[in-house]
Amino acid sequence: MAYTPKQVFLNGIWLENPIYRQVLGICSTLAVTNLLANTLFMCFGLIFTTALSNFTISVLREYIPKRIRMIVQVLIIACYVMIVDIIIKALVPDIHRFIGPYVGLIITNCIIMGRAEAFASQNRPLLSLFDGVASGVGYSLVLIFIASVREPLGFGTILGMTLPARDLWWHSWIIMVMPPGAFFMLGMFTWFARRWLVKEVKR
Amino acid sequence: MKKTSPAYILGFMITICAVFGTGIASVHYATLDMLIKNEKLHKNRTICRVFNLSVAGASADAFQKAIEDNITYEQITYQGRTWDVYKRKDTGNIGFIFSGTGFWDRISGIIVLSADLSKVVNIQFLDHKETPGLGARIEEAWFTDQFKGVLIAWEQPVDKRIIVGPAPIPSAKNRVDAITGATQTSIALMRFLNSELETFRKAIKEWKEKTMLEMPSPWE
Repeated sequence: MAYTPKQVFLNGIWLENPIYRQVLGICSTLAVTNLLANTLFMCFGLIFTTALSNFTISVLREYIPKRIRMIVQVLIIACYVMIVDIIIKALVPDIHRFIGPYVGLIITNCIIMGRAEAFASQNRPLLSLFDGVASGVGYSLVLIFIASVREPLGFGTILGMTLPARDLWWHSWIIMVMPPGAFFMLGMFTWFARRWLVKEVKR
Repeated sequence: MKKTSPAYILGFMITICAVFGTGIASVHYATLDMLIKNEKLHKNRTICRVFNLSVAGASADAFQKAIEDNITYEQITYQGRTWDVYKRKDTGNIGFIFSGTGFWDRISGIIVLSADLSKVVNIQFLDHKETPGLGARIEEAWFTDQFKGVLIAWEQPVDKRIIVGPAPIPSAKNRVDAITGATQTSIALMRFLNSELETFRKAIKEWKEKTMLEMPSPWE
């Protein structure tokens, strides 16, 4: 089936959003969303990797032997992740110290492998690049939303800046910065999205 | 050549490994200087934090200056290992870089002891690869703050001088709480911290005796 860029874009961000529709990449969603700054760098890493690995795999799709295609995909993804890792380590070492372990785990983020196998290995390079960006943006939007709820509720800050007169009107909810807070938020967001944002396909 | 032939597969893999390997190596070399600078800044910041130095500004130079003004640095070799030892000029508090194997990988940090080595003044971690959210919490302030003022029970066996976790007497002055959900990291930390303290005490004793014989030490 041939896709148009518009369809690809809508699917990645909305209709087949990796988080609330495909339920992929949940590990990092739960892990890094207690601080918005960390979330933004994680999203940058994921968009960069999904887009470029999709593009590369699509360019090479005619040459990659079918029997070893998964190995090649992992190798290409791992290379881009290492590049992202080096860049984040060089430019923002403090953030790298926190999200470093998760950056390495982008390699095993199911979104990237899923898009590579399901889309890039069967479609043209530019469309695959677009699909990678769209999936990455779809992932990022959900993460940014969750982080922008968790950080103010949990720390009373947003992007590290303290909310005005926080002590007068807010007592931090420690649970929001702990893993259970992420589960609550993700669960509620998925419920909300599937109930109101996207219509279920009736079979 | 057929795409299914072993020669094609081998050639393809070798080519793709070479191309991407070169790409990663290039990015790595291009950022090497930045990585070295970042590493030094991180170390200096940790030293300033662990010695509680006041720093004028947040630049790399400000941290370097605070250290140069307040800290003396010495390398002490004992039984083939070189120790990085820092001493605060005004209080005489002495700090050294410790390291050991945590739950996953090597953990390193700086511990500052009072001049007579009787108690811990502060502890900060430089590097670790413990599980995020669990063992990685060793670097959080609530955990490291517990070490401030902890007495080192030198009269106890080597592995019980500082206790991380449960102890027969919960209010013992040489005990700190372990991290919930990271028992192995806590146990590993207790193990290698005690062993490092023991070796460091021997190293500093030998070094003091040696330097006293040779010449008056600037540290005395």
